Amino acid sequence: MKFAAVLLLAVAPVMLHAQNQWVLTQSTLTWNVTHPMHEVAGTSHAAKGKGNCSAGQCDFLIAVPVNTFDSGDSNRDLHTLEVVRGAQYPMVIVRTHLAQAALDQPTTDADLEVQFAGQTAHYAHVPLHRTSHGNDVEITGTIPASCSDFKIDRPSFLTVPIRNEIPVNVDATWKPE
Amino acid sequence: MAAGRSLAALVCVALVPLMTLAQPSGNPPVASASTDPASSSSSAVPGAVLNLPDAPAPNGPQSTAQNQTQTPSSSSQQTQNNDKNQQPQSGNAPTLGDLGFTPQQTLANAEMQKRLNERTHDLKMHQTFGLITAVPMCAAVLVAGGAKSKKNRSNPNGTVTGPSSSGVDLHVALGSGTAVLYGLTAYYAIAAPKIPGVKPKGAIKWHRDLVWIHAPGMVLTPILGAMALNQENNGERVHGIASAHSYVAWTTIAAYGVSIVAVSWPIHLKFWEKK
Repeated sequence: MKFAAVLLLAVAPVMLHAQNQWVLTQSTLTWNVTHPMHEVAGTSHAAKGKGNCSAGQCDFLIAVPVNTFDSGDSNRDLHTLEVVRGAQYPMVIVRTHLAQAALDQPTTDADLEVQFAGQTAHYAHVPLHRTSHGNDVEITGTIPASCSDFKIDRPSFLTVPIRNEIPVNVDATWKPE
Repeated sequence: MAAGRSLAALVCVALVPLMTLAQPSGNPPVASASTDPASSSSSAVPGAVLNLPDAPAPNGPQSTAQNQTQTPSSSSQQTQNNDKNQQPQSGNAPTLGDLGFTPQQTLANAEMQKRLNERTHDLKMHQTFGLITAVPMCAAVLVAGGAKSKKNRSNPNGTVTGPSSSGVDLHVALGSGTAVLYGLTAYYAIAAPKIPGVKPKGAIKWHRDLVWIHAPGMVLTPILGAMALNQENNGERVHGIASAHSYVAWTTIAAYGVSIVAVSWPIHLKFWEKK
């Protein structure tokens, strides 16, 4: 009896902790490139992520291999990999820190730290929209990334470079662990 | 006494996990933005103090400068960079190591980056020479009329007037220039390093497949042209396979043109739109 009580007491905090963990179950990340003659989007479904919450604060991490983005053209994807130094820095890593209460809001302004192409950029007050699907929570939003944020030399076509803005659409479904 | 010991043991066991969770992290959970202000757009917030988990060392302001000087060959530095990415951010923040990526996915590959850089360089040369080649190719077609024998239209059974030597020379010079430039263009496409495991997909597939039309065409066209010229110089009407010279040339040009458009497809003309 005493042993059971000890075990329960020992495991209880761990159980509480486990309830505050989130795992990314499904994701669609899409970069968008605009050129006067082209509009191209590259999509990846290979992101993995985790979120840990404790003491009312949550830390989320999402990472995705750069080489998993698919624009429908293998030549373009390889060129993209080259200009974003994707073999040298193979992961895009996004971190954010949120108050746990913000997770229940339909819209949250998140401060994001994005590591990409060997650089780190911070984006403040990025609006993220929340939709519940049973236990799962779908988060959507757009990271207003740009080439200059990550010191990416803009590729050009017929001597005209692409636009500096490369917004990244995020659609991520999280599940409590 | 025994009951007291049990209670003390219970309290201890119960508190240990809580104490573990409550341990402060090695690094304070505040990071400042680290992008170079000169390079940041208005969307980024350089210099802002954000309530974020501690960023790994390579991404701090110092590391940004370090990254700038990093060359693709410095594999040890890159690996170190990735290793640091996997360091814990704080006591609570998840790390890259928690996500279950394979080392193959997360480790830098300097050799691959070098191959990608070489590939881009070679394909840019391929593109440049390819566009330049189109100029003498089109010009050769435009002046082709001057290299042809002329029939006397009023008397179809009459003699055939040979082409002017300047017309022939110009057509041959443009054709030869086209062949040389085409060879250079092809060289850079063939020399560009191949990336293992990547299958051609999308518009590039058309671009590559059309080679099977314009490459034989680029070999056949000058041969047939030489045969046709030889026949004309002998006062003969162009006959036999040599008479296909212009058809082969036109097919080659058409395939070449489609190949250029295909690699750029889909094209959205939006010059007049301003967002």
